[in-house]
Amino acid sequence: MAGSADKGDLLAAGLRFRPLREPSVSEISEDATWVAAARAGDRSAFGRLYERYARMVHGVLLSKVPVGDVDDLVQDVFIRALRRLSTLRENANFGAWLVAITRNVAHDYHRRSVPAEPLPDSASDQEIPHGTSGGDQDCPSVEVLNAVMSLSETYRETLILRLVEGMTGPEIAARTGMTHGSVRVNLYRGMEQLRAKLRARTSHVGPEKEKSS
Amino acid sequence: MRDAGSHRTEHETSIENDNYLWDRSGDPEPEIPQLETLLGKFRHDSPIPVFPEIVPERRWVVFHWHLRLFPALGMAAAGMAAIVAVTFLVYRTKPTPTNLTGWNVSYLQGTLRIGQKTIGAKEAATRVGIGQMLETDNQSRASLQADDIGKIDVDPSTRLRLLTMGTGLKRIALDRGTIHTYIWAPPGQFVVDTPSAVTVDLGCAYTLQVDDSGAGMVRTSLGWVGFKLNGHESFIPAGAACATRPKVGPGTPYFEDASTEFRSALARFDFEDTTSQQRAHDVAIVLSEARQRDALTLWHLLARVDDQQRVLVYVRLSHFVPPPVTATKEGILRLDQPMLDMWWNELGFDDISVWRHWEHSWTGTATPVREK
Repeated sequence: MAGSADKGDLLAAGLRFRPLREPSVSEISEDATWVAAARAGDRSAFGRLYERYARMVHGVLLSKVPVGDVDDLVQDVFIRALRRLSTLRENANFGAWLVAITRNVAHDYHRRSVPAEPLPDSASDQEIPHGTSGGDQDCPSVEVLNAVMSLSETYRETLILRLVEGMTGPEIAARTGMTHGSVRVNLYRGMEQLRAKLRARTSHVGPEKEKSS
Repeated sequence: MRDAGSHRTEHETSIENDNYLWDRSGDPEPEIPQLETLLGKFRHDSPIPVFPEIVPERRWVVFHWHLRLFPALGMAAAGMAAIVAVTFLVYRTKPTPTNLTGWNVSYLQGTLRIGQKTIGAKEAATRVGIGQMLETDNQSRASLQADDIGKIDVDPSTRLRLLTMGTGLKRIALDRGTIHTYIWAPPGQFVVDTPSAVTVDLGCAYTLQVDDSGAGMVRTSLGWVGFKLNGHESFIPAGAACATRPKVGPGTPYFEDASTEFRSALARFDFEDTTSQQRAHDVAIVLSEARQRDALTLWHLLARVDDQQRVLVYVRLSHFVPPPVTATKEGILRLDQPMLDMWWNELGFDDISVWRHWEHSWTGTATPVREK
């Protein structure tokens, strides 16, 4: 355990082995241009922002709310962003601003659903049911998604962006405003924990299946 | 004691093997493409929705254009502006108990007090204005929201006051209790005064607690937070925490998964009035228990220990993260700020220039820092 923590620790500072700068200087200036155009009434510019950020918004939401509600909430996020575009002070900060709105929408979703329950910060010892329907619970994809959802929030968000949405680590950092070090540590540690969870499930399910057969 | 050299080689190998997970370069471990295939089923694939019409923002340049073409219209507009300005100044001199500028109470569970008024959950949405105090009892919760700043969730038994809502600075005071903030205002604009420190948002989400003695604790979950009081500054990145005490100010930030010995020694060092011998002992424990990510703590310690201990901290921190070539040992030991900042940037957290850029002369309502 300590060993794996140390690996992650080294990764945090280990960027010095392979220095990676934010790849998105041109993207940031593109964002700023598109935001400025959208603010001036250009809907196609907002559409381009949607294309660039929809996966990130979808992934962040998927890490927080049941999969069946994610698509609707993605639209809510962008509609909310569209309405508040005039309040964005730095056009180039669109990504980080959108992440904050996304988390806010997820937070509101949980508050509306179960008023007394706070949004789970860490679900390390519990599982958030994520299957779309009862029949899907046996599907391997849902099984794996449930395993991801049983990780702590930090790890599950980053892993979902990487493994579900197909974003690379540098992309995740550029879109969400996290540092490369944080993303790399989250990916590495999250993956370690996911492996352990999946191993535990296999060893748990295996004997039961044998018994039933 | 671990063999750092052999671990390092193992770690370097791990990093190389993990490049596929990071940026899809190199050979993947077989399970990762398999996971990508299984989980890819949930990937976003909806087409671009039809967004509503965007109302273009008003541009003052149009107004100027009119002014050039129609001088009379310009004169009239200037006259109207003068009347508005005078009216504003007249009204401004009158003290008002509430102000239209403020935070909306977007959610309420139980009842809360705003000033002298008790607000129930069934009442219409209300506002907290500048100069007003908001207080939750031991069973109520509330959320405050301001479109261009962010959101504050207020836990039970909390009292806060809204101090300012300027265009460049939004400031509240947390007298006691717990708030969870999600801020989307630009870094450096949202400030919370506590009895023992001033927290400065640097683009983040964080939880801030203040107990009845005025002692505080900040835990950052996204981005990073600056904690400052009278020259003592602490930077708390996501996953880290930092305590503050009245008359002492912010302690040294740390990651909460550090060993118990590490955290206990650090707490004694920061806040207990111990002998110099005990302090040296506590620093030694912190150094020996430190892991790679505790470079965060060691960097902060550089400016908080005496000259003799600073050399030890320098050596240990260099072991984890070598200082940049542009920083000299002599410079670091005499606490040259630009060199310390350059070393911070090597630690893998956020760029300290963000803080330096937004830094103002924060002077909290808290009491002065005790000299160590």
